[in-house]
Amino acid sequence: MRVRKDGSRFLANVVIDALKDDGGQLIGFAKITRDVSERVQAARELERLNRELQKRATELEASNKELESFAYSVSHDLRAPLRHVAGYSELLQKQASSSLDDKSRRYVQTILESAKRMGDLIDDLLAFSRLGRAEVKMRAVNLQQVVQEVIAEVSRDTGDRDIAWKIGALPACHGDSSMLKLVVVNLVSNAVKFTRIRTRAAIEIGCADKNNDELEVFVRDNGAGFDMQYANKLFGVFQRLHLAEQFEGTGIGLATVQRIIHRHGGQVRAEGAVDQGATFYFSLPKAHELAERTASTS
Amino acid sequence: MSTLGRILIVEDDPNDVELTLTALGEYNLANEVVITRDGQQALDYLFCRGEFHARPNDNPAVMLLDLKLPRVDGLEVLQQVKADARLRIIPVVVLTSSHEEKDKMRSYDFGVNAYVVKPVNFHEFVNAVKELGVFWAVINEPPPGSVKKPT
Repeated sequence: MRVRKDGSRFLANVVIDALKDDGGQLIGFAKITRDVSERVQAARELERLNRELQKRATELEASNKELESFAYSVSHDLRAPLRHVAGYSELLQKQASSSLDDKSRRYVQTILESAKRMGDLIDDLLAFSRLGRAEVKMRAVNLQQVVQEVIAEVSRDTGDRDIAWKIGALPACHGDSSMLKLVVVNLVSNAVKFTRIRTRAAIEIGCADKNNDELEVFVRDNGAGFDMQYANKLFGVFQRLHLAEQFEGTGIGLATVQRIIHRHGGQVRAEGAVDQGATFYFSLPKAHELAERTASTS
Repeated sequence: MSTLGRILIVEDDPNDVELTLTALGEYNLANEVVITRDGQQALDYLFCRGEFHARPNDNPAVMLLDLKLPRVDGLEVLQQVKADARLRIIPVVVLTSSHEEKDKMRSYDFGVNAYVVKPVNFHEFVNAVKELGVFWAVINEPPPGSVKKPT
């Protein structure tokens, strides 16, 4: 602690050095006094900010956990009454169908359909909430193989539709294989669904380097597309850009894709235009190191 | 099918009880069904005590057990049953709304014989209950000591 000319005190860093002549004789001392108040102040500020950040992170983690368990218990506890609505409506339909007029029969039918729809929404919400809590098991994943498997599975339900698949080279990447498969399933089945309006659907899956550490995979289709002004809504939970009569679905697919990719440290984005198809991109960390390690041991 | 085993249902929700019975009835599974409405009552039944002190001391062929129950919960019932020399041989099927991994893990840890999540869809629920009833009370040979009723 030193005193300034005006009498105020300041924190100082003082260096004292002995001054010697060429022959090594001590001729005096040099003293440098540095006012380090600002530096100390800055260090303290940094420390304070760090503590603040730590606190925020802890709070965020806690509220995240709370939100997850809230979503879970809502979904879970909603299932029981819903099962009863569906169950009893069905019993009513079976028991009283012949004594009901057309209008009443339609009412019962609507109750059943709505209960089913709510069941689907709850199940999706439940799966989505589980996804947020599941551990991401990172290892090398053969994307090419994942895509092939998914196309084989999805193709079973496409009947005699004419779909031109174009699969580019997909490198190994680093991630949780079952979660990444879910990403591909969602994107590919979306592409299949939204190209239903085409006599000949074209779906392309490929990959490009985003930068040194990341790769970016895309799924492109020539389907219904979307208006870019709603692009930010695409990845929200239960957000839909089409009517249920046009394209079925609850609107959880792309939210699932985003959540998985975010948990892998990647990003999602989409490009499209109404009636001109859509392209969905997701980025992932590259797996070169992991791939090399696996290759040398196998 | 010469014999039918007794089914013990442990379920607090009256609607679920009715739907379960309807599902069993739809497939003419005319098994004897005993219903207990919470974990404590289920344990009293199994250990032949309290209101059940006078019942013949025999085991059901299968127990369908809900997890979320008043007083004593399903996991506690399961744990006590599997810790008892006479009761541990009863096949226990957890029939629950819970997909929770920790519920599944703990159930299997305690020695549950099957874990079934109640489907929301009534058709699937009926099918699940029917298959459980058929498998455990008809197809499966229950442990000796469970009284079989000739039909």
